[in-house]
Amino acid sequence: MVGTTAVEHSRDTRPSGGGSLRFLVVGGILSYRALFNWTTPTMYLGTLFGSPVFQLLFFVHVGRALGIADDNFFIVGNAVLAASVAGIFGGTMAVANERRYGTLGSVLLSPRSRAVVFLSRGLPYVLNGILVSAVVLGTAAVFLGWRVPLGVAAGLLVVLVVGALSCTAFGLVLGSLGLRLRDVFLIANVASTLLLVVTGVNVPADRLPGWIRSLGEFLPMTHAVRAARDLTGGAGMSRVLPDLLLELAVAVSCTLLALAMLRLFEWEGRRRASLDYM
Amino acid sequence: MSAVAAAGVVRRRGGWARLLWVGTRTYVLHLFRSPVEVLITLIMPLIFTLLAVYLFKAADRPAQLMQAAVGAGLMRMWTSVLMGSGAAVQDQRWMGVLEPLVASPRPLVTVFLPITLAHSIVGSASLLAAVGWGVLLFDVPLTFADPLAFLVGVPVTVLTLGMFGLLLASAFVLLPNANALANALSYPIWMLSGMLVAVDILPGWTRPLSAALPPTWGADALRAAVGGGDAWTPMAVALAVGLVHLGLGCLAMVYVEHRARVSATLALV
Repeated sequence: MVGTTAVEHSRDTRPSGGGSLRFLVVGGILSYRALFNWTTPTMYLGTLFGSPVFQLLFFVHVGRALGIADDNFFIVGNAVLAASVAGIFGGTMAVANERRYGTLGSVLLSPRSRAVVFLSRGLPYVLNGILVSAVVLGTAAVFLGWRVPLGVAAGLLVVLVVGALSCTAFGLVLGSLGLRLRDVFLIANVASTLLLVVTGVNVPADRLPGWIRSLGEFLPMTHAVRAARDLTGGAGMSRVLPDLLLELAVAVSCTLLALAMLRLFEWEGRRRASLDYM
Repeated sequence: MSAVAAAGVVRRRGGWARLLWVGTRTYVLHLFRSPVEVLITLIMPLIFTLLAVYLFKAADRPAQLMQAAVGAGLMRMWTSVLMGSGAAVQDQRWMGVLEPLVASPRPLVTVFLPITLAHSIVGSASLLAAVGWGVLLFDVPLTFADPLAFLVGVPVTVLTLGMFGLLLASAFVLLPNANALANALSYPIWMLSGMLVAVDILPGWTRPLSAALPPTWGADALRAAVGGGDAWTPMAVALAVGLVHLGLGCLAMVYVEHRARVSATLALV
């Protein structure tokens, strides 16, 4: 262009803030839609809802058989944790599958902010996670007679949103490992299973050893589960606010860590020309 | 029948057993040469044992910690068979060898039974790892009410799970995304089979379902071998139920093979 340098021209063509917001939403929708390139809606829904629902029934059964705690303990805990499957595996797929399917180079060539690109991928899985938790709670209401006052439901929704956010952010951290490791889904599987223990969902936290409790404080869902149980136990939002803020802190920390790791592995991948090398 | 033909018949019959042996051995070696598979075999039982042991500790049942560890190992064993049965067919399909396997003159059951048995054998390594982790890290006492019954019960459970896996594999042949279905089947089988806790408190209508599952009897046998009680009767029932599932699996494989040949859709994803 006459009158502008190449640098000024490239600055002029960079996406604006409004465009980034649009990308966050539309990009997320498109990437989620692309998921069904390799899976069918029936199978996806079966995986998304089947496993968490059966997980709930299994641990309620174990709780009753062993007499550990009442049904509410396992229902609320497993319902909140149910969002973790969508978040962890969705967040992992959002990044790792780009490398797996050979499209990572194209994504990284884009002038878009890396944060916007990969956070947009995670957004649909946050919504998925909330939906899964809601379905699990619905299952508990229908088959296990679980009830909660309507006033608590709103607070519970807030907890589910925050929990889903932190799980998806954690999934993005694992997904960023996919830029370096080939078997990242093994790590995602281990992490997802580990949350069954360290979050205090199925074993009361005061019966866990200290090192597991400490580990759980830094992982997603521990604080969300605690907040949800307090809410359904009659506590008000003001009392669960500290736990919600801690869960939010986990979400923000995981997001920042994921972005830092993505930047680091991208730089290393460019330096070694190993971005698409599996 | 001439002597040559008779020898051919004998060789063919002997060939099935040899094919099963070679196939199972090959797949076991294949699985244990995969670093990922070895890691899964070692790490996942650790997490499952951690969960099971602390569940039982939370329930103040220190005398049943060994049962908890064995239960955790059984859960991992079933997951190994389940994922193996689903992935095996898909793996053959993705490698493009499913059609040649179906087209080979050997019955399809002699192809897939070694795969499910191999995953069951690898799963037994998870069982041993679970017990090992429990003893080493979580103060699980290494005591057996009937050590001999436990030593016999493990391979019996391995065998019956492999037979059950064959029935699943035949169903997964027709499903393009069998892994997704497999993911949802872990918890129901854990619950209905009583792998971690007995099925006594489940609703009565689930009893026939539980009884029809070989893992139920295998879990009963191993629980009795660890905690006391009759382990041999459940073991015998497990074998019988497993053979029924093997028979059903063979019939299902014949049907699947016929249907695949008629519809010509075997390789389509």
